[in-house]
Amino acid sequence: MRYIRKISDYMIAGGIGVMVIVSMQGCDQKEGNKNALADAAKTQGALVIVDEIAPGEYKIAEEYPSSTTRVIVRKPDGSERILTQTEIDALVQEEAKKIDNNTSPLTNPNMSSGQMGLGGILLSSIAGAMIGSWIGGKLFNNPTYQNQRATNYSSPQAYSRSTTSFNKPMSTSSTSSTTKSSGFFGSSSGSSSSGSGTSSSSVPPSSGS
Amino acid sequence: MLHVEKIKPLSKEFLESIGFYWHTDADQTSYVADELVLVSNDEVEAYYAAANELYDMFAEAGQYVIDNNLFHELNIPFNLVELIKNSWSNDVHWHLYGRFDFAGGVDGKPIKLIEFNADTPTSLYETAIIQWAMLKANGMDEAKQFNTVFEALKENFKRLVVLGGNPEDFAEYYEGWKILFSSIRGNIEDENTTRLLQTAANEAGFHTDFAYVDKVGFSGSEGIFKGDENFEYWFKLVPWENIAIEEGDLALLLDEIVREQKAIILNPAYTLLFQSKAFMKVLWDLFPNHPLLLETSFDPLKGKKQVEKRAFGREGANTIIYDSDMSVMAKTEGEYGNFKPIYQAYAELPRDSEGQSYQAGVFFAYEGCGLGFRRGGLIMENFSKFVGHRIKD
Repeated sequence: MRYIRKISDYMIAGGIGVMVIVSMQGCDQKEGNKNALADAAKTQGALVIVDEIAPGEYKIAEEYPSSTTRVIVRKPDGSERILTQTEIDALVQEEAKKIDNNTSPLTNPNMSSGQMGLGGILLSSIAGAMIGSWIGGKLFNNPTYQNQRATNYSSPQAYSRSTTSFNKPMSTSSTSSTTKSSGFFGSSSGSSSSGSGTSSSSVPPSSGS
Repeated sequence: MLHVEKIKPLSKEFLESIGFYWHTDADQTSYVADELVLVSNDEVEAYYAAANELYDMFAEAGQYVIDNNLFHELNIPFNLVELIKNSWSNDVHWHLYGRFDFAGGVDGKPIKLIEFNADTPTSLYETAIIQWAMLKANGMDEAKQFNTVFEALKENFKRLVVLGGNPEDFAEYYEGWKILFSSIRGNIEDENTTRLLQTAANEAGFHTDFAYVDKVGFSGSEGIFKGDENFEYWFKLVPWENIAIEEGDLALLLDEIVREQKAIILNPAYTLLFQSKAFMKVLWDLFPNHPLLLETSFDPLKGKKQVEKRAFGREGANTIIYDSDMSVMAKTEGEYGNFKPIYQAYAELPRDSEGQSYQAGVFFAYEGCGLGFRRGGLIMENFSKFVGHRIKD
């Protein structure tokens, strides 16, 4: 049983798996004919998958950088619910109030983190800074918040995977202005058969094997 | 007989919403079958083990080819030989992924290697994403599939940095190097396959970008660029032999770039050795009568049912099946006739109740990581269908 993992199904296909779920549930807000994969490198958002492990108790299963921000909650029975932006905003608002009243387990170490609601869990995610960016320093610089973040993940591996994919070191940008050769494979090789509509008889032919 | 079960197909609208646009063949039939092949746990384990064992054999035989200068025998274009040697000599040229094609493995038939698509394999999106979505859409247990393709790719991207070490240590060693992903403009299948890989690299923790091949800049002394931005890695979904034959200047530039250690190219040039169907003759020489191999020769086999293929043929083109008296049983035309022919003993493909043949494809990324099937006639070609699978309880 080497390859059948008992971990989150989303590991099967990462952020693309989440895209599949979202599209299957018909909450896809794809603009017109835009290629869903075209933004693979644009990662200003995050996909967060939260497991409800007991009524009202949550853990972060996975999260991925993504072009849009989405939250999926998995119920104990395996069903999935995608939170709308309105729901996410409301949850974060509610948690922000608690932070202001010092009743949020995110910032007050005396509050049991067992009481952590969904809003608190979302803000614990690496993506939390994107989701609740407007809350700012009062949360993200708070030592309690920093210390117990990892405990809101389903496993140390899930936490470590998330930090790796979100906290990339600055890239080494060396540039050059010397002359370079380009334009290779510019004129489509292969025969040009005219495909119809959305059929896959694309031009040039696929170069795979 | 091989068993399939009918399922509810994924709609074209859904497939397009997730970037899968090549769902319909030129004859207007659906490219993805609305059925799943039923396999057992033991069958899956055997596919997994076969891929792992074969890869070790490929690595050993690759060393033998290099040591004995067998590039001409493998029909390798002369202008890639030095580049292949260079890429072979240093572990940083890490093989990202490939796909083994097998006869047998189900229905009590032994697994036999047909070929190894080591450089630019197709069916990645279908195997990694589509067949999983099929289980999901039909309310089936998603764990009942041999499919960790996406995860394995992510892990293997991390190995570009940790090499033989633990992928978990990626963040410790990664210093912000970037991968530029490229495919040829105008082919959405190639493009989205490339973007799928880009997504995996992104999630692994790399900085990535995408550019069509014709927009990529090459300098022998400085490396690979998008605009004025330099990239340490370049992934190209362009077959090495096409680079060698159609764009000789590019082959020269890449040779210099790798020699000067200005960039690392994925898949590495040495995967062209594995890709050459003539490589299977070398395997047979080194591992005669190995249970996973089919006898392969540069000359017609004596008194055997066999298949003639070209060293770098694609999509089943230029393939001839001969009966044991050398009468032609099936034949496809194609544009690869100038490549060297090889002759491989014929292996019967498993069939379903309607007599359609199935060929298994097992993806390999550091280890076997996913199974998918192609369904067609005697020769798998352009109109073969992709068929997902499910592990029986």
